Amino acid sequence: MKLPGDDAWVIDTGPLRHFALSGWLGVLKFLAGDRSVFMPDVVERELRRHTDDIRSIGQVLDADWIHVFASTDPAYMARFAGYAHRLVAEGKNEGECGVLAMGATFGCEMVIDDRTPREMAETEGLRVTATVPILCEAVRAKQLTLSMVEHVADELLANEYKLPFGSGGFRQHVLEHGLLDYDETT
Amino acid sequence: MGFSGHSVIAKIETGARRVTALELSDIAAAIGVQMMEFFEEPTPAIVSHRMSGTPDATDSTIDSRLALLARDVELIDSLADGALGFDRAPAEQTPPTTVKEAEHLATLSRELLGLEPNAPLPHLAEAVGLVGLLAFSADVGKDLADAGTVLLRRGGVAFVNSHADVGRRRLALAHELGHYLCADDYTIDWRVDSYELKTAPIEALLDRFARTLLLPAQALMAAWAPRVEEHGPRRAAAWVAHHYRVDMATLARRLRELDLADHETAGIVRSHRTTRADILELDLYVPAEELAGTTVPRAYEKAVLRLVERERISRERALDLLQGTLNEDDLPIPRTGREDEIWKFVS
Repeated sequence: MKLPGDDAWVIDTGPLRHFALSGWLGVLKFLAGDRSVFMPDVVERELRRHTDDIRSIGQVLDADWIHVFASTDPAYMARFAGYAHRLVAEGKNEGECGVLAMGATFGCEMVIDDRTPREMAETEGLRVTATVPILCEAVRAKQLTLSMVEHVADELLANEYKLPFGSGGFRQHVLEHGLLDYDETT
Repeated sequence: MGFSGHSVIAKIETGARRVTALELSDIAAAIGVQMMEFFEEPTPAIVSHRMSGTPDATDSTIDSRLALLARDVELIDSLADGALGFDRAPAEQTPPTTVKEAEHLATLSRELLGLEPNAPLPHLAEAVGLVGLLAFSADVGKDLADAGTVLLRRGGVAFVNSHADVGRRRLALAHELGHYLCADDYTIDWRVDSYELKTAPIEALLDRFARTLLLPAQALMAAWAPRVEEHGPRRAAAWVAHHYRVDMATLARRLRELDLADHETAGIVRSHRTTRADILELDLYVPAEELAGTTVPRAYEKAVLRLVERERISRERALDLLQGTLNEDDLPIPRTGREDEIWKFVS
């Protein structure tokens, strides 16, 4: 089985699902560039359980550039169990535990949108990012234009992704907060 | 579970096939344990209890409850630095060997709990937290034990079967406090207040300890005679039972052991049930019952909610840890995201 290097992304259920439902999975692939992209087997299972849009989710499950990782390594499983102890109840949040365990085991960058597992990752000094930071980075790196990212953000908002601004508010927000220079937005 | 058949299970059992993290998570869920239990030893008291092979070491409901509570409480203690009050755990006491020693231990306990010698102890479940014992309750049915206690690496956990009435629940918890103060690693008490000195001396003495803790001798002596003279034994019993939050059986037994009532009067007290007329005539205020149904101690609840607020445990796990005593709407509102929060990744 292919193992993630420290430059790999390991992505949680939420971001994969949001990108897929918004029809922007190709953007995620583009942004990954040369990085390899992984999801743990538990994320794959969570995606399969989302039957609200089988067609969109199927694009994630069928994507040959997203590798599914499963492990019988006791150290990995112990890490998984430790995260589960703080996050899992009645089968919820297992995906995050798999992502965190991969990040802790392989040092790869995790893409997680939920704040509690992100907080846990940061406390442990693990590398973690989220959907919107990835999009902002893409603007800075001039991989995507601001107008494209605005559109992605609005699509994510339409799919109930929580952002610190409303629909159509991305550009104003980044300018107001000095997150991107004006010349980066044009 | 996600296994495709018996052959897979057979291979796992023989070691021919190793389980993945996902499969192990499913196995844990199927047998109702936290996955962590496969990787971390439980608290030492649980380990030694399971190794002991004593009859009550079987997988009883109380046994499972105590093991689960021990693990959950130790998780919270590890994350909520000092919030559970375990730093206040007192020095180990010598188990009583005589009635006098049992009564002395009760007097000492009152001091540890910050109580006046003869004052009522209205909030026992919270009071025991002052010495590092966290008291939980749930109704697990009439055929199971009254209570149990497990000593943790720091502090302790008591579980009380709330199927019994409030007086008996409080007596059971007071009994468990005795075990805890004497640093008994692990105890399950099937029928508190029915132990005999000849057959179970320690338990019988801890029953005595419990009765004394709830009903100090001097307090009962001062309260009983004048009220019997004014109201008769039934109403006097209603007054004492109400003020000291004990059941009539405990009061009757205490009256007898202090030689404050003869057999006949004790019988009258034991069979009396406080009536509406008693409540009105004596102008009693009926408080919320302690340890009714499923309860978790206040310090524990507060610590869990703080951890949710600080995003150190998930909301789903918090509700699980609080055992259904709160619902999603009761949890703290997620903290407002710092404006720079999501942007720090790109700065």
